[in-house]
Amino acid sequence: MKSRTTALFAVLFVLLAGTVSVSAQEDETVSLTIGLHAAEKNFNPLIRPMAQPLTHDLTNLVYDTLFWSQASESPEGFLATGAESSDDARTWTITLREGVKWHDGEAFTADDVAFTFQFISDLGGPSRYGHHVTDYPTFVSAEVVDDFTVVLNFEDPIPTFKFLPGGDLPILPEHIWSQIDEPLTYATELPIGTGPFEMVEYVPDTSYRLVANEDYFLGDVTVDELIMPVVRNAQAAWAGLESGELDFVTRNVPSNLIDGMRDNPDLEIIEGSRLQSVYLMFNTRRPILNDATVRRAISMSLDLDVFVNLVEGGLARPGNDTWTHPDSAWAHPTGGHVFDVAAANTMLDDAGYTMGDDGVRVSPDGDRLEWTLYVNSFAPPQIRSGELVAEQVAAIGVAVTVESLDPAAISSLRRPGPDGPPNIDMFINTFEAHAHADPDALLFFFHSPGDIGVGGFFSGLADPEFDALAVAATELSAEERVAVGNVAVQEKLAELMPAVTLFYPDGRWAYRPAAYDGWVSDPGHGVFNKKSFIASYVDAARAAEDPPVADEAADTEDAPATEEASATEDAPTTDDAPTTEDAPADAETSSDDGNSGLLLAVAGAAVVLAGGAFFVRRKNARAGTVQD
Amino acid sequence: MRRVRRLALQYGLVVLAALLLNFVLPRLAAGDPIDYLMPPESSPLVTPEQREAILASYDLDGSNTEQFVTYIKNLTSGDLGVSIRTGQPVRDVVVGRLGWSVLLVGVAVAASTVVGVLLGFAAGWRRGTKRDIVLLSGVLAVDALPAFFVGLMLLLTFSVKLDWFPVYGAVAAADISGWARVTDVARRLVLPASTLVLAGAGSIFVASRSALVSELGEDYVFMARAKGLNDRAVRRHAQRNALLPVSTAVLLGFSTLVGAATVVETVFSYPGLGSLAFDSVLARDYPVLQGVFLLLALIAIGANFLNDLLYPRLDPRVKDIG
Repeated sequence: MKSRTTALFAVLFVLLAGTVSVSAQEDETVSLTIGLHAAEKNFNPLIRPMAQPLTHDLTNLVYDTLFWSQASESPEGFLATGAESSDDARTWTITLREGVKWHDGEAFTADDVAFTFQFISDLGGPSRYGHHVTDYPTFVSAEVVDDFTVVLNFEDPIPTFKFLPGGDLPILPEHIWSQIDEPLTYATELPIGTGPFEMVEYVPDTSYRLVANEDYFLGDVTVDELIMPVVRNAQAAWAGLESGELDFVTRNVPSNLIDGMRDNPDLEIIEGSRLQSVYLMFNTRRPILNDATVRRAISMSLDLDVFVNLVEGGLARPGNDTWTHPDSAWAHPTGGHVFDVAAANTMLDDAGYTMGDDGVRVSPDGDRLEWTLYVNSFAPPQIRSGELVAEQVAAIGVAVTVESLDPAAISSLRRPGPDGPPNIDMFINTFEAHAHADPDALLFFFHSPGDIGVGGFFSGLADPEFDALAVAATELSAEERVAVGNVAVQEKLAELMPAVTLFYPDGRWAYRPAAYDGWVSDPGHGVFNKKSFIASYVDAARAAEDPPVADEAADTEDAPATEEASATEDAPTTDDAPTTEDAPADAETSSDDGNSGLLLAVAGAAVVLAGGAFFVRRKNARAGTVQD
Repeated sequence: MRRVRRLALQYGLVVLAALLLNFVLPRLAAGDPIDYLMPPESSPLVTPEQREAILASYDLDGSNTEQFVTYIKNLTSGDLGVSIRTGQPVRDVVVGRLGWSVLLVGVAVAASTVVGVLLGFAAGWRRGTKRDIVLLSGVLAVDALPAFFVGLMLLLTFSVKLDWFPVYGAVAAADISGWARVTDVARRLVLPASTLVLAGAGSIFVASRSALVSELGEDYVFMARAKGLNDRAVRRHAQRNALLPVSTAVLLGFSTLVGAATVVETVFSYPGLGSLAFDSVLARDYPVLQGVFLLLALIAIGANFLNDLLYPRLDPRVKDIG
């Protein structure tokens, strides 16, 4: 029997070992394997399910926008070569690039641009880009002048057209999308775009294969093939990067792994900006929370440096009370956060919120300052932030209970009911670049619930002064907004404090330089963006001396602009700045245990087993029993 | 024959109950598919008509009762609906994943049966010896470890440290075919299947061990020994009879492994039914959840049914009781 068992194991082992032999064939083509943290359907730009990285960097590998990008200081022409506005900024005349072809060989023309705006406008609000053309500013009509000139008319002035929607809205091929019945759910066919890559294979939820577009209008594409499996488990993704199975991972490197990766000679870390923020939002329609004094006091009780250090391991910047990301073109010139527990307590005392016996304040009406805070159960940084909020607000007599739920459940809690505001006190969430790059973001998120914006889903703030300031700002030129308009709006927001920006996470990604080292950091889009694969940008970034391996968040002046296209474009190639993904539906395990925890556990198990064996042995030896 | 008919009736009722549960359970969670399709930033811009239209395109409009009637009606014509996450027909999604699950769980069941029975008999034959105790405590210790932990441990050891096996997926995303594809699939199967074996062999080990122990206490074994039969012959007789309860343990363990596969598939990004169910729960993808749960329920029920049918053949004594 014994010999038979041994033989069986031997056979099994040989079988397993036989399959281990690796067959590595190397040919001329540059092929990169990229571990995605979530799937994005067939890159249908109209869908925005929660699991989709909101900046649509994947979509932008296949599709192009008129300008690029929403987050740059001055967008450069991509599908467009120029755009002229009328004096009232309501009419824009766009000149398009000639000779551009869709992936299926059809010519790109002004008809496609006119179609895209009309199509998204007809679809209304629900699509990802719908708010650009239906909410504010409202699109009216498009006229095709000739094959490469199109005129777009808007109901409201839109001086910042080149940023948004110009730098954000992907242009769709009319000959494909005019045939699609249900565009909002269309997700089965391979997409046709003009972008640097063409999708050739898509296994839903599992993997994508993209090949370079040989005729790309901005020149050579540096990588021939992108193989992009979806690796849901963060540990597995980092393991794949270390073993060489993956060349890049779209996740932000968690702070506990970053030192190990810096020490690994096969890996490099690159930093970049994705203009993200993690924020605490109040439902200002709740009793007591509708008092700006209470909201400001809560904000003042939060020591944001502690959040930066404990949640992000120091790899982030503390939030500004003025909300907008400091690297955004529209940021408040100074920003800053007021942290003053004593002053917060005085404010609450003066407003009549008296301290109760149990350390929780009571309102003049006799209600306790006691709330539930919802956080995304799949985003450890949010959970830890929630715990810190609860801990710190206790100092001013506010009791917060943290509850973690999955994203869909939190969304449903945030939806206003038919007869009233949503039944939620406060929540923590992450904003992606779009919320900081859009000059109208504050209008969109904090305008009184109603015709303009989506305030009802956020704080429900209803302040006529704020509304007036925010609407007035939309009519200003980009320069005026930076200097005056957005400053006033942000200062008003800091006074009303419908939300507290906790921190702006840094962006940092790990890659295998032996496989590819052309990564270009593009503000607002991190390094996994189309510029990293377009030869002219890659060369410019390499030429810009010390390649993008910046270790320190030094605010170095911007690397020289590339020779490509229009004036400025991607100013800071080597950038400090923030980011982090945490796509909701991905169980990011950036917890501190990691490998060491596992090894400890294994060692523990081994000790227990060894102890057991020793015990059994002694027992048997003593008894001297041998049955059979 | 009557027994078969009665069993079929019983199982039919169970399937109906499963259908109802599959429909109700996903809807009990807070949130609905619109919360997934239209996140907060866009959902206020969705008019009630658009909302209804989107739901209608998935047959999810109307009251729950209406939806259930539509669901059953469509089901009878083999239509499982359309996935909210991928936009594909649920049948295609589920069938596409089923193959990988069958491969993974099938290999795991086969391997854990072989390992569990061999070790169980080895331990049971020499009950109380050092070998038995070491095996018993060892197997039970491994069995007690959670599957995701075992999976991660294997991953860190064999993929990262030793670099023997890939860390994700069932097959490379690259364009490969022929023999290369077969070896790639096999290599990617090793770690997830091993995790399941480690998670699933315990119950089979315990069942085989105790079955053999109790057989060894039977009169016929005593008789055989009295006749002077050697160990080998005695063991052959006893093991054969001990396999009866083991067959039940294997078929029941099958369902457990399907559950464990959810965790293992998530750890290894394996595109089986388990990871599909996990993603679908997060997206509130009711049609897919109904499809996956229905299939899993049918498999579990089928395994039990098979066991009920098979048992009288394996052990004629059961016929009288049944």
